[in-house]
Amino acid sequence: MSGIGDGVVYTLLFISLYFEVFLLVTFLEKRGERRTLSTVKYAGTLPRVCIVVPCFNEEKTLAHTMQSIFALRYPREMLDTIIIDDGSTDGTPAVAKTFENSGVRVFHKENGGKHTALNLALQNTDAEIIGCLDADSSVSEDALMRVVPIFENRDISAVTPGVHVRKPKTALQHIQNAEYTLSVFNRFMFAALGSVFITPGAFSMYRAKTVRDLGGWRHGHSTEDMELALRMQENGHKIANAPAASVYTATPGTLPGLFHQRVRWTYGFLRNFIDYKFMFGNRAYGNLGLFILPTALISIGVGIYFFLRVLWYGIKNIYDTLERIQITGIMPHFSFDLFYFNTSALLIISIVTIALILVLISAGSWLGTGRRMPPAGTPLFILLYGFLVPLWISTAVFRAVFKTGVRWR
Amino acid sequence: MDNPIVGTRATQWKNYAIAFVITAAIFATALYASNYFNNRRIAEIRTTQDNISIDILSLETQFELLAEHSCKDISENSVLSKELRPLADRLSYLENQSSVDEEELLRLKRYYSLLQIKDLLLMKKVATKCKLKSVFILYFYSNKGDCKDCENQGYVLTALSEKYPQLRIYSFDYNLDLSALQTLLSINDVENTLPALSINDKMYYGFKDVADIEKILPQLAALDKTATSTAKKSVR
Repeated sequence: MSGIGDGVVYTLLFISLYFEVFLLVTFLEKRGERRTLSTVKYAGTLPRVCIVVPCFNEEKTLAHTMQSIFALRYPREMLDTIIIDDGSTDGTPAVAKTFENSGVRVFHKENGGKHTALNLALQNTDAEIIGCLDADSSVSEDALMRVVPIFENRDISAVTPGVHVRKPKTALQHIQNAEYTLSVFNRFMFAALGSVFITPGAFSMYRAKTVRDLGGWRHGHSTEDMELALRMQENGHKIANAPAASVYTATPGTLPGLFHQRVRWTYGFLRNFIDYKFMFGNRAYGNLGLFILPTALISIGVGIYFFLRVLWYGIKNIYDTLERIQITGIMPHFSFDLFYFNTSALLIISIVTIALILVLISAGSWLGTGRRMPPAGTPLFILLYGFLVPLWISTAVFRAVFKTGVRWR
Repeated sequence: MDNPIVGTRATQWKNYAIAFVITAAIFATALYASNYFNNRRIAEIRTTQDNISIDILSLETQFELLAEHSCKDISENSVLSKELRPLADRLSYLENQSSVDEEELLRLKRYYSLLQIKDLLLMKKVATKCKLKSVFILYFYSNKGDCKDCENQGYVLTALSEKYPQLRIYSFDYNLDLSALQTLLSINDVENTLPALSINDKMYYGFKDVADIEKILPQLAALDKTATSTAKKSVR
C-alpha cells in the first residue's frame, strides 16, 4: 500500500512541478518578446465602450464602483455606462437613480441572474466594446486605456485585466491577495498560450459583435464568465490579457463567505468542464485542450488527495503519540540530532515546488504592479491555502456529481 | 508593466520538452540528494559500530588482563549499552526510509545484533566476576507486520531504559538471518509468540507495560538509586 501511495504522491508532485516549470519556461520566453504599449502616446481612434454594472442589493458598494468608473481616463462621450438593477430589494434603485444626471443609464428588471442583466445591456448599447464591472469592484484610472488599444488587433475578441484584492484586512483576505497575484501570472500565461478559459466578471472587455454572434451570455452554472470564455475558445476567438489594467475587488473576509463563493466557482468550473468535455485532450484546441484544461481538472484531484493524505497522517501521528504517552507515561521529546533531519526526496521536491510557487507569485506581482515583492499574505497562503481549498472542492464535487446547483447568495 | 499578450493556441512542443527535462532533472537531483544523505547516515552507523566493536574487544582484553582486581574500573568503563541503544533508534529510523539500500541496512542490523550478543556475554561475565546485581532484558520483536504490540513494547522499553540507565536491554529481530541469533533463540527457548521478553533468563510473552516489568523486577528500584549515585560519580 505504501508503495502505491508513494507512487501516486510522486506522480502528482511531478505533474504539479511540471505545470509550474512549463509556465515559467514559457514566461521567460514570452517575457523577452514582450512589447510595451504606452497608454499616453496612443494615437488610434478610440472605440465606444459600454461598461455594465449589474446590481442585486448593492446599495452600499455601488457608489464606490461608480466613482471609479467616473475617474477612468477615457473620453466621457465614448463611454456608455449602464446600471442594471437586477430586481434589488434594498435601496439600490435609489442609489442608481442619483447617477442618471451624470449620463448613466439605469435599467430595472426582475431578478434573473447576472447573465440576464448583461444581455439586457448588450441589447441596449451600440458600443463596439462591452464589459462588466461588478458592483463590489473598482477599477484603476488607466485600466481602460490599457485594455482598449489591444482591440486594434482584429483577431482579439476579449481582454482580461489583472484582478487584485481591494484593501485586504483579515488574514483570509491577505491569503486571497496572494492567490489573486498568482492568478495574475496564470492569466497572463494562459493568454500567451492562447488558453484563457475564464474571463473574470470584473472588467473583462469583449468585442460586442462577438458576444452577439455567440448568442450573448448564458447562465453557465452561475459562472457565466467561464462559460463565455469556453464558448469563445470553442469558436476560435482569441482572448488577450492586460495584467497592468488593475481591477480591485472586494473579497470575503470570513471563512463561511469565502466557502460559499468558492463552492459556486468550483461547481461552475466542474459543470462547465462537463459541458465542454469535448475540448479535453483535443488537439484542435492546442495548449488549452492538451494541457491547460486537463491540468486544471487534475489540480482538483491533487488538492483533495494531498489534503486527505496530510489529514490521515496527521491524525494517525497524533493518535500514535497519545497512545505512546498512555502506554509509557512519558512525553515524547524532539531530537535535534542532525541524523534524524528529514532529507527524503519527497520533502526536497515539495520544497522546490513551494519555492517555484513563490517565484510565480513574485512574477504575478511584477506583471500586475511592477513590484517584485510578493504580497504580505504569501507565507500564510503557502502554509494554509492547501488546507482551505479542499473544503470547497469536496463540497463542489459532491454538488456537481449530484447536480444540486448553487446560488449566488 | 503593460504587456497585453495573446498567443497562438498551437501546441508548443519545444517548451513541453524543455519543461519535462527540467522537471525530470529536479526529481533526479532530489532522489540523488536523498540517497546521498542516507548513505552518509549508513556510513555514520558503520563507523559507530566499528568503534563499538573496538571497544568490546578492548574491554574483553582489559577483562582478561586485569580480571583479578579491576572490577571497579571495568564496570565504570562499561558504557556500551548507552551507545548501543541510540544505534537501535537510528537503525529503526533508517528502516522507515524508502530510499535506503536494504542489503546494506540488513548487514548493519546483523552487525548490530552480533555486537549486542557480544556485549551481553561480556557483561554477564563481568556481573558474575564482580558480583554485580545487573539486570538483563532480551527483547525479541518482529517488524514483518505480524506483531501489532511490538512497536508499543519498543516504546515501553525505551522509556524503561531512560528511567533506569543501568538496565541492560538488548533487542533482536526474531526473523533476522544470523546464526548467532538463532543460537541465542534456541538457548533461551524463545517461541514465535511476539513480543517476547527474556528477563534474567526467564521468558515472558505478550505485551508488558512499565508497571508489569517493574513488578517482575522489584530490584529495579534499588538499581535506580545505584544509577543515580553512579551518575554522580561519573560526572566527577
